[in-house]
Amino acid sequence: MTSEWKQIIIEFRKNKLAVVGFYIAVGLLLLSVLAPFLAPHDPLEPNLTAKLIPGFWAGNWNNFLGTDNLGRDLFSRILYGGTISLRVGYIVILITAVFGTILGVVPAYYGKAVDMFLMRIVDVFLAFPPLLLALAIAAALGTGLEKAMLAISLTYIPGMARIVRSSVLTVKTLPYVEASQSMGASSTWIIVRHILPNILAPAVVYLTLLLADAILYTAALGFLGVGIDPSTPEWGAMLSSGRDYLLMGQWWVTVFPGIMIVLAVLSFNLFGDGLRESLDSKLRVQ
Amino acid sequence: MGLFKYFIKRLLLAVPTIIGVSIIVFLLIHIIPGDPVQVMLGNKATEAARTALTERLGLNQPLYTQYWNWFTHSLQGDFGISVTSYEPVMSEVMSRFTATIELAFISIIIAIVLGIIFGVTAARYRNQPADHILIGFSLLGVSIPVFWLGIMLIFLFAAVLQWLPVSGRLTMGLSIPHITGLYLVDSLLTGNMRAFADSLQHLILPAISLATIPLAIIVRVTRSSMLDVLHEDYIRTARAKGVPRRRVIFKHALKNAMIPVLTVIGLQLGTLLGGAILTETVFAWPGVGRLLVTAISNRDYPTVQGIVFLISVLFVAINIIVDCCYAYLDPRIRFEE
Repeated sequence: MTSEWKQIIIEFRKNKLAVVGFYIAVGLLLLSVLAPFLAPHDPLEPNLTAKLIPGFWAGNWNNFLGTDNLGRDLFSRILYGGTISLRVGYIVILITAVFGTILGVVPAYYGKAVDMFLMRIVDVFLAFPPLLLALAIAAALGTGLEKAMLAISLTYIPGMARIVRSSVLTVKTLPYVEASQSMGASSTWIIVRHILPNILAPAVVYLTLLLADAILYTAALGFLGVGIDPSTPEWGAMLSSGRDYLLMGQWWVTVFPGIMIVLAVLSFNLFGDGLRESLDSKLRVQ
Repeated sequence: MGLFKYFIKRLLLAVPTIIGVSIIVFLLIHIIPGDPVQVMLGNKATEAARTALTERLGLNQPLYTQYWNWFTHSLQGDFGISVTSYEPVMSEVMSRFTATIELAFISIIIAIVLGIIFGVTAARYRNQPADHILIGFSLLGVSIPVFWLGIMLIFLFAAVLQWLPVSGRLTMGLSIPHITGLYLVDSLLTGNMRAFADSLQHLILPAISLATIPLAIIVRVTRSSMLDVLHEDYIRTARAKGVPRRRVIFKHALKNAMIPVLTVIGLQLGTLLGGAILTETVFAWPGVGRLLVTAISNRDYPTVQGIVFLISVLFVAINIIVDCCYAYLDPRIRFEE
């Protein structure tokens, strides 16, 4: 690990809220990975004799968060929901990171015509209100988690490309890049060896905050039933299905998945904010 | 560069963007897996109905002809006919547009006013309990899904406490004559105070849910921007001259702290338009966002295309206005590039 990252970690540790966010995020990640072992029931198995049963507050420890409108165990569904939300989040971030970096580095490094052309395309994508674009693409592509991921990624890539591009433009003029160029290094070598490591920190911060956003978007698509099948144990879809029962007093189907979304989004926001602050203070020290 | 010239330049730059947006919106119907006509009409449709829809959408023509027809028609406000209601898309959108405008306008006003007040307060009492509470709330605000917040507000204020209506825009039985389409304005103009109170009650919960995210973000930006400005020399000078603290904050600091806040307000309008889709769905608010969600579930793609295009053009227009606002506040912006 480079000293740059060590310093960021030292700064990060001073920020208690950010550390809490980090631990919650890790905890949620563990829960979602271990869902198949921790879930007491099958998340998809309906039990029509046990519909909308209250949980531990009514002394029911078998389904301790209660059951939903089809009698499925809410706790098991929430655990599996974590698997889905976080997996969608990570894959979206991965796609965004790869394509955003390529679309940011290439125009910034090769300049002029390529830059003009690609940045105009990026502008067009940024001209859409974010949720609207994801919704429209998901609506056209049809139902399926991969399609929802693709739709969300497409709305994030332009923003990522912008961030990467401006970081590259800054790094590009630094003396060591010029030195490397004058020694005859190839463009690819300079990009991989000198430029990418130097834009890593801002990119990681941006992607962490984007992950929080991606979890929210996934939930929004699930809630609207666009791109995500309503029967999927996805947090947004789950709370949407509980909506009709809320006014009749069966609040748990809506409340618990919502709390999980808030927890997940909040933890990544805190973590990302902390990272950004420690990065900023590192820059200030220099 | 004068402000007018800057405005014209921004307007011209928007032309290629709008063309690009139109291409993407046009292509939406072509990324539908399989035959779009089959998808829209379902399996039970007759051959004649299919042929008719194919003809109407021009899907039997070459792609560039299709695009050109779609683009030139949409510039004239003609987005074709809804596949489900057989009404022109434009008139369907227009009949719901004012509902969205009313909701979005009230929400952004709430977000801006409270956001600046809370942000200034947090900056003024930096690292004190008031600051921690406000920052805590704003962190929570950006992390709560709009739709869940809306549902929880309905549960608390409409179901449990029964203070406010569950959904809709006006109680059944009441009616407001159509003047502007904005219920609050129309009911005031006709002096119908009962309808005014009723539509205001219907507006409260959706407006609060929609305002939450922009509010939370404006609080944070105002706070940090104020903190930056409060360290400037001219602030110290003003304080040293004996100008009261309150006056320094509101007169000297706030004005200069507003530029980043304005930028973020411009960005938040996009989030607001997206959030309106969710809020309107939760509260059965008869606006464009809800129309979009209904159109998506009915696979009514001409309507989807029309709405997406119109909202995006609106968003581009809003951004031009916001850009001009800060070009006015900070003349340096006009001379860049």
